[in-house]
Amino acid sequence: MIHFKRLNDLLSRKYWAPVSAVKEHKGEAMNTLYNFVSGPLAWVAFIIFFVGCLYRLIRILVLVHKKEKYIYTYMSWKYSFRSILHWVIPFATVNWRKHPVLTIVTFAFHICLIITPIFLLSHIILWDESWSVSWWSLPDSLVQAMTLIVIGSCIFFLIRRLISPEVQYVTFASDYIILAIVAAPFVTGFMSYYQWFGYQVFTILHILSGEIMLIAIPFTRLSHMLFSPLTRAYMGSEFGGVRHARDW
Amino acid sequence: MKKCFPILLLLLTVSLFFLVYAYSQEDMRFINAEAFENPQRPPTVFNHDEHNELAQIEECNECHHIYDKEGKRVEDESSEDQSCSDCHEPKASGRKPALMKAFHINCKGCHKEKGKGPVMCGQCHVRRPNVED
Repeated sequence: MIHFKRLNDLLSRKYWAPVSAVKEHKGEAMNTLYNFVSGPLAWVAFIIFFVGCLYRLIRILVLVHKKEKYIYTYMSWKYSFRSILHWVIPFATVNWRKHPVLTIVTFAFHICLIITPIFLLSHIILWDESWSVSWWSLPDSLVQAMTLIVIGSCIFFLIRRLISPEVQYVTFASDYIILAIVAAPFVTGFMSYYQWFGYQVFTILHILSGEIMLIAIPFTRLSHMLFSPLTRAYMGSEFGGVRHARDW
Repeated sequence: MKKCFPILLLLLTVSLFFLVYAYSQEDMRFINAEAFENPQRPPTVFNHDEHNELAQIEECNECHHIYDKEGKRVEDESSEDQSCSDCHEPKASGRKPALMKAFHINCKGCHKEKGKGPVMCGQCHVRRPNVED
């Protein structure tokens, strides 16, 4: 009988279902860790992210002003925005048309990457509780699909880095780490959402990996989030104003 | 027949007592989430009596609070005869928080304050709860 009971216990959800809420007083260490990563550490990450971004932007503008003043002679709003506009529309440039699969993946990836965390209900609830600011959210099912798109795209980018010679030529070891930094919040968020196993661990890792990504943005290649419009503006102006050619 | 009547009445009363008992807080395993139109998360696992025993809560109004028109908490009154959704609407009005935020503040707020009890989303919104536990 005892054996039957043990078997029954094992088969019941007791051992793999998340710990029920009332029994949770046992996991106080986890909760302390959660409070730390979602409290003080979140502040640190957001401050480093915003101050870091501002610092990098100011620094690049100061550097231009010091070293490459002559570009002011041909920088133009018209050519800048013409270039940016072409490059933010899928298949609007020759390069996008030449690589249709990459184009679809990279657009899907970037859109989902940015939209998902900002319009996820759980994030909005936490911001509302902390700062009393809130905005509309996407349904969880849609966000889950978008999360899978991000994860799938990361796998695509990884394979592309591994097998494509022209990409390998500009690949450093750090690029793989950066790819992992980007994928991690989405993988852990997915695991945390479905609560299959290790819910608390995945939730803490999710927050932690999100903070690592925020901190990494201003100081790694992820800073193309800040600089890509500037690069495009520069290219667009030079091609439009100096070479009298298209840059798309 | 006349002799049976008092016994029948007694039986009925007793069964009614058991019925009320069965539907009382005693068996409450989830927070009533009917007021939410399109809930995105599973209802909160909550065992009223077990919670209060663990948390050593004696007064009903520690959770079942009453606020007056000026937004001040009324100390001696309690709202345990009402549903949370009787006061808290889906949308916030004035200083009165919306229903979901009211739940979150009331439960998680206290857990954080006391350093006890669940604080992560999925610790309360459990997907496959083991309610037999």
